[in-house]
Amino acid sequence: MELHLNNIGHKYNNLDVLKEISFSIRQGEIACIIGPSGCGKSTLLRIMGGLETATCGDVYISGEIPSNTINPLTFVFQDFALLPWRSVEANISLVLEDHPIPTVQRKEIIDSVLARTKLSDFKKALPKQLSGGMKQRVAIARALAVNPAFMLLDEPLSALDSQTRELLMSDLIDLWQRENFTACYVTHNLNEAVRLGHKIIVLSRRPGTIRRIVEIPIPLEERHNHLAELEYSQQVLWNLMRDEALAADRELSNAD
Amino acid sequence: MQTKKSKQLKLFENLAKKSLREPEVQVKRPIRFRGGGFVIKPMPWVPPLVFTALIAFWEVGSRSGFISNLVLPAPSEAAQAFIDLAHSGLLIKHVKASLYRLVVGWTIGSLLGVTFGMLIGLFSIARASLFPLVSAIFPIPKIALLPLFVIWFGIGEGSKIATILFGSFFPVVIASYGGVQNVDRNLIRMGQSFNLSWFSIVRKIILPGALPAILSGFRISASIAIILLVAAEMIGAEYGIGAYVLTAGSLFATDQLIAGVAMLSILGLIVSWLIGKAEKALLRWRS
Amino acid sequence: MFGLYRKMRFSIQKVVVLLIVALGFSATAQAAEKITVGALRFTSHSPSFIAKERGYFADQGIEVEFKFFQAAQPMAMAIASGDVDFGITAITGGLISLAEKGAVKVVGGALQEEPGVDGMLILASKKAFEEGLVSPANLKGRSYGVTTIGSSFHYTAHNIADKEGFARSDIKIRPMQKVGAMIAGIKSGQLDAISMVPHIAKALAASSQVFVIGEVVDYIPDYQVTTVFTSPTVIREKSELVKKFLVAFSRGAHDFNQTLVEKKASAEEQEAMIKLIHKYVYADRPFKKAAPAIRNGAMRINENASLNLKSIEDQLNWFKSENLVSKDITIETLVDTQFVEMSHH
Repeated sequence: MELHLNNIGHKYNNLDVLKEISFSIRQGEIACIIGPSGCGKSTLLRIMGGLETATCGDVYISGEIPSNTINPLTFVFQDFALLPWRSVEANISLVLEDHPIPTVQRKEIIDSVLARTKLSDFKKALPKQLSGGMKQRVAIARALAVNPAFMLLDEPLSALDSQTRELLMSDLIDLWQRENFTACYVTHNLNEAVRLGHKIIVLSRRPGTIRRIVEIPIPLEERHNHLAELEYSQQVLWNLMRDEALAADRELSNAD
Repeated sequence: MQTKKSKQLKLFENLAKKSLREPEVQVKRPIRFRGGGFVIKPMPWVPPLVFTALIAFWEVGSRSGFISNLVLPAPSEAAQAFIDLAHSGLLIKHVKASLYRLVVGWTIGSLLGVTFGMLIGLFSIARASLFPLVSAIFPIPKIALLPLFVIWFGIGEGSKIATILFGSFFPVVIASYGGVQNVDRNLIRMGQSFNLSWFSIVRKIILPGALPAILSGFRISASIAIILLVAAEMIGAEYGIGAYVLTAGSLFATDQLIAGVAMLSILGLIVSWLIGKAEKALLRWRS
Repeated sequence: MFGLYRKMRFSIQKVVVLLIVALGFSATAQAAEKITVGALRFTSHSPSFIAKERGYFADQGIEVEFKFFQAAQPMAMAIASGDVDFGITAITGGLISLAEKGAVKVVGGALQEEPGVDGMLILASKKAFEEGLVSPANLKGRSYGVTTIGSSFHYTAHNIADKEGFARSDIKIRPMQKVGAMIAGIKSGQLDAISMVPHIAKALAASSQVFVIGEVVDYIPDYQVTTVFTSPTVIREKSELVKKFLVAFSRGAHDFNQTLVEKKASAEEQEAMIKLIHKYVYADRPFKKAAPAIRNGAMRINENASLNLKSIEDQLNWFKSENLVSKDITIETLVDTQFVEMSHH
């Protein structure tokens, strides 16, 4: 399944947030969107996932949607969005309950995604008992439970400390290798982008337009052996972004 | 001016000398702790102690004549009035009558309150039409409406239950509405992103998310229900704790008055304890 | 500095002025003793109003200030707290309890029921009347509105039961807290029966929503409805004042009885007295509307403030029998008999 954006523009109260954005994400590809704060990258992701409608332009998908997919476009949120009153397994069960799946099968799905995210021991735990990293794992397990064709990750590692982030990043790479999902990954962390992105879309400050699309041809699983190249790519991205980030920062502090 | 400056200079020099000398002396000085003082610690033995001391002081004061019987009867007299009431068999009748009114009035009022609060929280049309109405009627003291209730619902149980029902309805509406408002928007968005049905989102995300606010609404409405009990039993009540208190007041039987008021207070404590239990059971997930 | 001195001098002047004023006041206070009398805005409180307006209190060297209450109960409590020196109200459970606590004492009589003079009437609602409640004898099983448990209305209901020969519990007593609520209850048919002062009762019956089914006087002859009371402290420390008050009050009562109860006075005199009373009673209504209510509400006030001790004893015994007051209370606790004549019929 592929996802295409055609000339997307978006306004909030006559204020341009996004402008003339067009790109495509191919089957099995992870596209990272980076940009200074307030450039509308999360808005763009929500437009892609149908949680918001763009003021102009269109988003569409092409290709075949796998038949076993329960929810083709699936989000993973920065704040995990777990229901605090439901246990780990019940949080995952939540997204299956509205679909006609027999109870036995539902339990199998839950057990399977918990095993895949190494959470089997925490089935009965409540979110308040889990660390941030574990919570995001649960959120990822929940996303996997609906067999997504396309994952929309909204700064999924931003709320975590750097060690946890490192661990989860390699988990995500493993997961991608196994599941081979297509994804759009929004982040403001350049390191995450160069580690996880097949292509990196750099947005300008508001109104967000595409500054450049950087492709990194090294396979994800080999990237830890090419740290120097990654470092270089990161430097390139930073050079692209620095002035924008500075300007955006000033703009925000002058905002009101 | 000149001398002042040189004096100051000298002072600084001396200070500098002192601080220079210090490492040589190598006196170990402990760092003074300055981080405490603003922590509230639980003291479980204090509340019973305060109660006991207060009642003991009161009893001694009454017996010695320091507190005149006209001003306040002794706690032992109030206790005796309570025992007399229990022996006469009327205690059960009073408590039964009041509990019936409280339970029926509060339950219906609170359930309606949650329903209306949810409607106001969920639907624009309900918010636009009902919320101003609720805001306008909420501050009216329900006691003032009692004569009307008597005409509308009769002198029997109807007007008494209606008073308590009305009293408990409004705080629950406001609390439930606030609870719905305060449900994390991201959780709702998450539900939408997984294509959950509208009804599922309300039942599985909004209602449990609003539950803490609803329960604190219940806490307030239960207290208001007990406060209104005396008002509700003002008209035409033969039995009931409120009627007992009112009769004691009109007979100037202050021992019975205190006994009745103590019963209301204990009723309040029991209700508060029950809601605390419910909160513990239902809101275990809160950190 | 200079300013401060000037200010101080000014305040010293003030103090001196205040002292002189205060001395002057205490001098007049010695001339006429100032007392506070508790009253309800009812026609039955007229003797006090007459005594004040016609200078009977002043003749005794008393300067009276009225303090008005909405109900008898707070008045009794104001006597207990010392805010009011004399009060006139019905014998209630609250009054007896306060007497037991040594806070109030009855010293004389005021309103009394007697045959031949319009007294309290027993009323039935239209609905109950049509169902057959045409006489107090049929009150068995009926609801009966009273202000509070232990009020004179409650006492009346039980006397009806006793005389008609059914159990007191067969009348369903409904406390309504206020006379207004009782009237609303009987009008709307929520209550089957009440008893009411004559002028209100007659006005209600005139609307044919309510029917008169009997007179209280038939059930409680010589009912001592209201009494004059004061605090034991006043009796102990100023017994002369009590005597003076009762003399002035009795003159007011005599005028009232002669003019409006026995109607021995000329029409002009009656009119003048009603005008006097109208200053205090139904003052919010125009005179034309108030006058008939005052005229119809006139019931006999005991001459010389004499007290029907027998009736008081009956009432006290009823309170005891209903467990509304302590069994240990004696008539001596409640009444001080030294001031007025005691009748026993």
